Amino acid sequence: MEEIFVPALGMAMDNAVLLEWQKNPGDAVNAGDVIAIIETDKTTMEINAETSGTLGKHRYVANDEVPAGNTITVVLAPGESE
Amino acid sequence: MSQHSKEWLTQTLRQMLVIRTFEETADKLTLRGKVPGGMHNSSGQEAVAVGSMSALAADDVIATTHRSHHHTLAKGFTAKEVMAELFTKATGCSRGRGGSMHLGDFHRGHFGGNGIVGAGVGIGMGAALGIKQLGHKKVSVGFVGDGGMNTGRTWEAINMAVIYKLPYIIVVDNNQYAVETFVDRVTGGKDIAKRAAGFGLPSYTINGQNVLEVHQYVSEARERALKGEGPTFINALTYRYYGHNVGEKGQYRTQDEIADWRQNRDPIDGFSSHLISEGVITADAFEAMKADVTKEIDEAVAFAESSPEPDPASIMVDVDSGLLGVSK
Repeated sequence: MEEIFVPALGMAMDNAVLLEWQKNPGDAVNAGDVIAIIETDKTTMEINAETSGTLGKHRYVANDEVPAGNTITVVLAPGESE
Repeated sequence: MSQHSKEWLTQTLRQMLVIRTFEETADKLTLRGKVPGGMHNSSGQEAVAVGSMSALAADDVIATTHRSHHHTLAKGFTAKEVMAELFTKATGCSRGRGGSMHLGDFHRGHFGGNGIVGAGVGIGMGAALGIKQLGHKKVSVGFVGDGGMNTGRTWEAINMAVIYKLPYIIVVDNNQYAVETFVDRVTGGKDIAKRAAGFGLPSYTINGQNVLEVHQYVSEARERALKGEGPTFINALTYRYYGHNVGEKGQYRTQDEIADWRQNRDPIDGFSSHLISEGVITADAFEAMKADVTKEIDEAVAFAESSPEPDPASIMVDVDSGLLGVSK
């Protein structure tokens, strides 16, 4: 199981806004796929999956503020569950 | 390589692996928000640090840069105390007051990382001046990046080291990028060893991906310094695999360039292949070493996680000498 999280970027980033989801729960995910787009105080960026599998539940909804470091969803390998 | 013992060669490889594993692990923890202030990853630059430090005596002095985890681990600091410092815990090598960019311990000859471009050269030169004044038989090494080659204080310090014939070695940990700026774009004359030679000291450009080459040049520089022959300038060409700081949105170099350095000039791959082909270690022993190092770094993370925060009541410790009556 790969945790997809909002990375802490830069020296003093506390939160990011989850702008939009690019994948929904149950979607097939390939390594490198964009899972979500976030906006920090400096930039807008894509959050990618590093592994392939099936997307788990969304733990936040669009426009939520997410603390840096927090997991927003997971990529499940075959046979895994949340 | 015949002058090195099997133990020395094996330990040299292991030290580079410790640094690589430490950095890859700390990078992930930084993205998770565990490292206050972030960090600068030195993956790719292991041979410069290990080659240099393996040529020094324990009480020789180093002064480093903003990117100093590899220098600090190679100087003999444990992964536990360095990881705990990244987490700004009381058990860190700077008692949690420094964090990633201010690792150090004067009592162990580590005059610290710092956040000022080129400052390591000045601090290291000051240490060398002190060593000479006190008549000690040791040397000082000042580390600097390529970005520090175009700042004035660097050359003031080098000039002073030359005129006073100080026991000093300047090592440029030249990863070729000053944050996002390629060194050649901002360096008049391009060849920084030639620039240094103009100040009147032996100056070399060497392969910073070859740990034995770095070791040899620093060893020879140290011998000259101890004989009273003055400073040496070593420009060690290397490469950092990650951004200037963790989380950087790097768009100033190509993925092909990074892949080329990783695949063709990696200091650990190169050295481990060499040792395996020479029969110094077996492929199995190398795999076992990797597992052992991973365990060591995992333990360092657990130690850092479980260590206490610095006690606010200790705020004045290390701030004054005790004369003000406020230190406990």
